[in-house]
Amino acid sequence: MTVDFHIIEQILQEKGREKSALIPILQAIQKTYNYLPEEALRYVGEHTAITPAEIIGVASFYSQFRLQPAGKHMLKVCVGTACHVKGAVQVYDAFRRKFNLKGDQQTDASGTFTIEKVSCLGCCTLAPVVQIDQVTYGHVTTDQVDEILLDFELQKNKKGQKQYRKADGTEIQGEIRIGLGSCCVASGSDEIRQAVEKTVNDAGLRVTLKHVGCVGMCHQVPLVEVVPGKGEPTLYAKVKPEDVKDIVTSHFQSPNLLRRLKNKIFSTVEYIQTDARWEGVQRYELDIREKPVNSFLGKQIPIATEYRGMINPLDIEEYKSRGGFTAMQKALLEMTPDQVTGEVKESGIRGRGGAGFPTGMKWEMVARQPADLKYLICNGDEGDPGAFMDRMLLESYPYRVIEGMVIGAYATGCRKGFFYIRAEYPLAVRRIREALAICLKNNLLGENILGSGFSFDLAIYEGAGAFVCGEETALIASIEGNRGFPRIRPPFPAEKGLWGQPTLVNNTETFAQISYIIREGAGHFNQIGVEKSKGTKVFALAGKVARGGLIEVPMGITIRQVVDEIGGGIANGRKFKAVQIGGPSGGCIPAELADTSIDYESLIRMGAMMGSGGLVVLDDTDCMVDIARYFLSFTQEESCGKCTFCRIGTKRMLDILESLTRGEAQPGDLDELEKLAQWTKKGSLCGLGKTAPNPVLSTLKYFREEYEAHLNGVCPTGKCTHLITYSVNDNCIGCTKCVQKCPVDAIPFTPHEKHTIQTELCIKCDACRLACPVDAIDVR
Amino acid sequence: MPEGTTVLAAVRQQGIDIPALCYLDGMEHFTSCMLCLVKDRGRLFPSCSVAAVSGMDIVTEDEEIREARQTGLELLLSEHVGDCEAPCQVACPAHMEIPRMNRLIAAGKWEESLRIVKRDIVLPAVLGRICPAPCEGACHRKTVDEAVSICLLKRFVGDAGTVHPCEVAPSVGKKVAVIGAGPAGLAAAYYLQLRGVEATLFDKAEKAGGQLRTAIPEEVLPREVLDREIEAVLGTGVRFIGNTPVDDQVFNQLKADYDAVVVATGNLDDLTKSYQLAGTPKGLEVNRDTYETSETGIFAIGNVLRSSRLAVRSVGQGKEVAFSVLQYLNEEKISGEPRRFNSRFGKLLQQEFAEYLKESVTGQRNQPAAGGTGFSVEMAIEEAKRCLHCDCRAIDDCKLREWSGFYQASQKRFQTSGRRAMTKHFQNTAIVYEPQKCIKCGICVRLTEKYREKYGLTFVGRGFDVVVGAPFSEPLDQALTETSVEVARACPTGALEVRKKE
Repeated sequence: MTVDFHIIEQILQEKGREKSALIPILQAIQKTYNYLPEEALRYVGEHTAITPAEIIGVASFYSQFRLQPAGKHMLKVCVGTACHVKGAVQVYDAFRRKFNLKGDQQTDASGTFTIEKVSCLGCCTLAPVVQIDQVTYGHVTTDQVDEILLDFELQKNKKGQKQYRKADGTEIQGEIRIGLGSCCVASGSDEIRQAVEKTVNDAGLRVTLKHVGCVGMCHQVPLVEVVPGKGEPTLYAKVKPEDVKDIVTSHFQSPNLLRRLKNKIFSTVEYIQTDARWEGVQRYELDIREKPVNSFLGKQIPIATEYRGMINPLDIEEYKSRGGFTAMQKALLEMTPDQVTGEVKESGIRGRGGAGFPTGMKWEMVARQPADLKYLICNGDEGDPGAFMDRMLLESYPYRVIEGMVIGAYATGCRKGFFYIRAEYPLAVRRIREALAICLKNNLLGENILGSGFSFDLAIYEGAGAFVCGEETALIASIEGNRGFPRIRPPFPAEKGLWGQPTLVNNTETFAQISYIIREGAGHFNQIGVEKSKGTKVFALAGKVARGGLIEVPMGITIRQVVDEIGGGIANGRKFKAVQIGGPSGGCIPAELADTSIDYESLIRMGAMMGSGGLVVLDDTDCMVDIARYFLSFTQEESCGKCTFCRIGTKRMLDILESLTRGEAQPGDLDELEKLAQWTKKGSLCGLGKTAPNPVLSTLKYFREEYEAHLNGVCPTGKCTHLITYSVNDNCIGCTKCVQKCPVDAIPFTPHEKHTIQTELCIKCDACRLACPVDAIDVR
Repeated sequence: MPEGTTVLAAVRQQGIDIPALCYLDGMEHFTSCMLCLVKDRGRLFPSCSVAAVSGMDIVTEDEEIREARQTGLELLLSEHVGDCEAPCQVACPAHMEIPRMNRLIAAGKWEESLRIVKRDIVLPAVLGRICPAPCEGACHRKTVDEAVSICLLKRFVGDAGTVHPCEVAPSVGKKVAVIGAGPAGLAAAYYLQLRGVEATLFDKAEKAGGQLRTAIPEEVLPREVLDREIEAVLGTGVRFIGNTPVDDQVFNQLKADYDAVVVATGNLDDLTKSYQLAGTPKGLEVNRDTYETSETGIFAIGNVLRSSRLAVRSVGQGKEVAFSVLQYLNEEKISGEPRRFNSRFGKLLQQEFAEYLKESVTGQRNQPAAGGTGFSVEMAIEEAKRCLHCDCRAIDDCKLREWSGFYQASQKRFQTSGRRAMTKHFQNTAIVYEPQKCIKCGICVRLTEKYREKYGLTFVGRGFDVVVGAPFSEPLDQALTETSVEVARACPTGALEVRKKE
């Protein structure tokens, strides 16, 4: 590829030539060329203050950056926890087979698709998820590869389609709310929006069409809620575009008969003409309709997610009308910074990013620093594979997070702040960018906010893909334009952080709860929860529950209440086995201990951790050794590589776990694994390494017999492919469906006879079992 | 102590050493190797990165800290691909520095070469004719094509040597009797004498040499070769008393007259049995590290321990026992010859042949003309050049090796998956880079940054797969210009090393 140096020069002029501009520069170059061409990087080295060593060090550190050209389309297979337990690896393998990729190859021979695994797309309730460019497919199975690629071709051609204008009546008959969180968008809410707009337009209805943020009920997306002027609102779940017309017309009447008729005729014609009814690929399951699920929402207390499903994320007037910015006004105009910090301290809120450091104390530490220049950072680098709280909060409640940040800045004396947001969350970045512009226009940010004399600037910094950057010192290194290497604390960022200045780093969710505390008073907040854990916590509930989604629950709720009452129990009648709480830093708590209270101390006692709030439910088909292996493969990949115990310790633990899942482990290996886990915990530099062994230690503690079975070459749940074989039982009717699905021709074509599987050819992709109509495939 | 002094610096000021591989004086801490862990009130932390403040109660060494450091070292060793000593040297029962001998021969330096050989093998010309050469079985070159002809090279050095190459230390005023003047006894007496101990050899035969003289045919080992090397031993001042069978009475007399006695009487016979030392019918029992017998001050080496056809083993034991005897005479803890840690990675892989041949020449093993003659000068030089330089250049100043020995780290403990393939980079004339030996301490990265190298070195990738390399894969001489030697000197292991001559 030839590089146009004018473009690079333009990028440099725009982003700057200092080291802190390095990551934005690289992001811009990659956006232009889809990878980082060497000539471009050399140009950057020659025309900036940044050295080639720094450029390559950074470019090779963050997973977002590619140093090799990629195909025309990026195909990302999410291998987050929820997707993993639902067979993401098989899906990944299926796509690789389709593209005929060998060894390290990632791009198909024609250069059309580049496939990669991503740690989490934040659509856990649609697992397993595949994303091609901007189109997301949920509930993917191995035999849908062709259909998905075909559908993608169709989607591409749909671009530039006519957009329908929104109806604008004087007499509002009601409101139609469409969820526009990432899950909803991924599941097709944009098509729904178009269909609603079209219907409303065609019928000339006088209704308000409203885009709302995440409702939290991601297991039911896409969601459409119809709120008539009179009567009860109705929530429609898993809506298909072709359903829209029926839904809308059942609630609202067209203004005149003629129009109604026209509408009907037109739609009949359309019905006949189009066959593209979107059936090829299941982006969702059956269209079940239900009223708002009381049990799903009943146990929840929305604080960070206040007014969810009701407010348009970017409508500032609406946010204000629901009490938005009153806390900020109160803090800035009526309270001293110390009073604000005091209130936060009294509320008992602790950091929602995982470690649970008391927020008030952190604020106090920063406030105490005499420096003129202090920074504030909102940590939105949610890298936990199986968590999407930050994404949802940023997408759905941008003003609430901003409000919390301004209050924090006022209390601690910060003049400049950053949103650090994962680059994998483009929607969140876009929403925050727009929200910041609107706030600035409304004097809610910038100079002399609301006439209080307090000034505060906020900017966005897009992360480039490194889980370790969730660790605050690594995050700071990243904003400074370095590799995301953590450093030892002390000094704490509160004393010496970004560019050596005192820096307040709080998690997105923490900031999202601040306005409530100031507005309602600490007492309102600290009456919720238990002794040392106050208030509420947002969790991403996913995995094998019937109803997954974003939930906000009071601290002290039990695991069982979450799984049974909110999650609706285990899906498909399977047995509840364990919950994985806290992602790669957390642990697995077995079903027997499901009465454990969810609070910081109890979870640590159980060998898990609050972590950032991923809560993945596992059933009796999940192999705990595989789960441990899965998390270790994640942390091993995400280890920054700086300190010995994490860099090599996680790799060696993974080696042992892999040999267990292959049935090659030796008797002494479990003890060695446990010892190594303990030393990695003790000897690692930062939180990533110190907590990486938790998934191993907790599963060893509660499921040791499963490990021992693997020592004997048996995987009790049949998950570890090296330890299982596929065979056909007598239920077989010789229908050849499995034969047709088998990608490696391991099942001979023998119609009307019992089929056989040639074990030596079988790649255990599970396609035959899924295809079999009579449950004749055994896995042992 | 100035404010901001690290705990590590403070502790070192007290004269207590702490392992710290990623720490370099005068540079900011990096906190990578995690070997400098110490404890303050039960909490482990890396001492290189924490400032000492009053009120700290630092523990620098206890069981937990030892285990932490040992585990850390074992993790580092599990991905450290490299041999400290070359496999030939490890295989040699006398642990002779074979690669160094080879390099000196290749450079035409016979005298220096002989000095290296005689540090471990007292009778090179003799062994060069009779040794079955276990070293050659371990030679990496054998995997590539044919082993280097080490044994014949040693013979060449032994034959070429004219003057005695080693200095004899002044007398320390101690006397040791060595019973038996075979290869073991000769070696023991020689190495004791070199260290200033007056050694006296007793043998029942008229002339020294033991089985070398009686059991090996003249055409294999010409007697003048044997005599010349025995003369070299005696030339250091060792006394030889022949025609003196040592029975239990004489033995007791020797015990009385000498400060220590070394029994090197060859295959266990009735005379030796009469000494009443503990043993089995096969041989005397000794401490395997120190060769101490059941009786204090009495040591035993050679075939008297177990009958063997390997003269080189006896010669090696003679060298080793000298350490024990000297420790005994000095009333030190008797531990024998200090054994150092050796990193080893096993056989060469196919793709490594080319890497190793970069420091060598191609071509099959040289065969001397028939009739028992050794190498000609040209042939010896040619053959010596076939050596692959498997020994590490940092062999004497590698912190990883030093501390691995100190904490008795096992390299095998965490070898849970296949190793990386070795590569050797010589694009810079002053230094060698072997990335698979790198422990990712970042010292070189930080130094090239400090000295503002245009390219310098950087971390590439992350996690377990991170490597240190030049940006844009620039050649090493572009990455490291004037700084290369200084950077190589600062490397705590043998990853970046000065390309020495010998």
